[in-house]
Amino acid sequence: MAVYKRTYTRYSGPLTSERWRCMIIPRYAFQTVLASRFYTGAFVLALVPHLIALLLIYFRSHIDALGGLGIDARGLQIISINGGFFINLFIVETFVSFFLVALLGPGLIAPDLANNAMPLYLSRPFSRAEYVIGKMSVLLTVTSLITWVPGLLLFSIQTALAGLSWSWDNFRILPAILLGSLLWLLTISLIALALSAWVKWRPVAAAALFGIFFVSAGFGTVTNALLLTRWGTLLNLASAMGMVWRWLFLNEMQYRVATFPFETMPSWTGLVSLVFVCGLALVLLAWKIRPAQVVR
Amino acid sequence: MQSDRLIVFDNVSKFYGEVLGINRITLSIAPGVTSLVGPNGAGKTTLMNLMTGLLRPTKGAIRVLDIPPSDPERFYRNIGYCSQFDAFPKGLSGYHMIHSMMSLHGFSGSEAESRTWNALERVGMTDAAHRRVAGYSKGMRQRIRLALALAHDPKVLVLDEPLNGLDPMARAEVIDLFRKFADSGMHVIISSHIMHEVDIVSDSVIMLSGGYVVAEGNIQGVRHEMEDHPIQILVRCDRPAVVASNVFQQDSVVEVKIHTDGRGLLVSTRNPDQFYDLLNRIVLENRIAVEGVSPADENVHAVYQYLVGSNGAGPL
Repeated sequence: MAVYKRTYTRYSGPLTSERWRCMIIPRYAFQTVLASRFYTGAFVLALVPHLIALLLIYFRSHIDALGGLGIDARGLQIISINGGFFINLFIVETFVSFFLVALLGPGLIAPDLANNAMPLYLSRPFSRAEYVIGKMSVLLTVTSLITWVPGLLLFSIQTALAGLSWSWDNFRILPAILLGSLLWLLTISLIALALSAWVKWRPVAAAALFGIFFVSAGFGTVTNALLLTRWGTLLNLASAMGMVWRWLFLNEMQYRVATFPFETMPSWTGLVSLVFVCGLALVLLAWKIRPAQVVR
Repeated sequence: MQSDRLIVFDNVSKFYGEVLGINRITLSIAPGVTSLVGPNGAGKTTLMNLMTGLLRPTKGAIRVLDIPPSDPERFYRNIGYCSQFDAFPKGLSGYHMIHSMMSLHGFSGSEAESRTWNALERVGMTDAAHRRVAGYSKGMRQRIRLALALAHDPKVLVLDEPLNGLDPMARAEVIDLFRKFADSGMHVIISSHIMHEVDIVSDSVIMLSGGYVVAEGNIQGVRHEMEDHPIQILVRCDRPAVVASNVFQQDSVVEVKIHTDGRGLLVSTRNPDQFYDLLNRIVLENRIAVEGVSPADENVHAVYQYLVGSNGAGPL
């Protein structure tokens, strides 16, 4: 070979955008999810509450037509399609999405750490934050498909059936679906990833996630009972999110009725509680996800 | 040499809390094969992790080809790292592993694919490309790690124990590959416990002990600078006793041992050039048949023993 040909030459072709490179991380995770019947089944089950809501919205708008078919659906008139309707749907989805995250989350980071794979990722033009965003996007995508995406679809269908005036009267539902869902999904995704990073054994990480959810709720209840306070409610993630849901979905009058049991707790405290949990999860992730294994 | 062709450590220290990783290291590494040698805990992996930007120095600065680690896009374009750990995300095949890492480098789908196959071919792994990494043997995993390090055509290859787990044939092939990379102007930084292979492949050596660099450079040069340890020269000839009785004319000769087979002698001298002149004279005057003359301790192993092994440091 000619000497000049032996000189090292660098690639000078085009490169993909740095911004979207984190989306390479979930590529194989999605394949795993789609290839698993168990995950697919869980995903379909998670859509059931929205399917029921869709049927209720549809039948509620076609009571007369159903009557024409000989079906007496007048009982549906007691259901009002408003913030209260959507809040009940999303409180159910709070639990459903949590279960889905508990299934998927623990398997995302733990295998990489158990196999010392971090130097592989991070010895590329790729940061720790991008790694976490890439992993989190798996959870956010899957859970979005069972929460705010069908939620917005329901809102659109109801608007189409009831008219724009309904949409105008209930406009706060739209940002409530988006903001509330994103806050909740972000919180549970970060907790799941932090646990996945700290607990390398997947079943234990899943158990720990359920533990945090239920034990913190129990601890909150005990705190309330012992200290004769309501602040223990903030330790219960679902209750904290419930406060945020009510704050986002309900107008002032609906809110007063719905928040009676929590009247001593301002709604923003639920938001602060969830933001604090997110921050704690980020600290735990930053602590654990390091490019090089340090042997002390 | 221009700084854009060097790996430069400027007074670099790394501490893990109170534990010393490396201390006050100043180095300039030129292109070619450079081996890091030292006992366990000497700081080899820390040095490599610093070089690849995986660790930040506690003190000092590092520039690779004049690029600081704080510019990751350019920095990692030039660096290929092969860790000593069995570092693979679970469930992926060798092909998918390399392909996704190439995508992380920003190569388009087709470019990433061609680079993946090219790298797999270079390490002889095309047949097993679509098998899961979890099912690979130790040697196959080592090859995939190498393919991962070199697939994006880096200018600096940093390879932690790259010969571990490879059979002798594969070792010879990989060493040949390293030489080709070095000949094309690349930096190949390797750490290895296999001394004779370090000897064969290295252009220069960095010897570490207890977090400090104890020697650096061409191994012959390092050996000649060690004046405390006389150079040992093996002379294979038909009448070693005659040579032995004559070499003591020289003050610089400190020890002579006749080989057990009676066909040679081992001379320890502080001045090898003077000894070679004397040996010529002795051979001509006494009509001695010489089979060979070679330095016996101008190799990494001997230098390592003198510098590191003798002070009670841990085994290799």
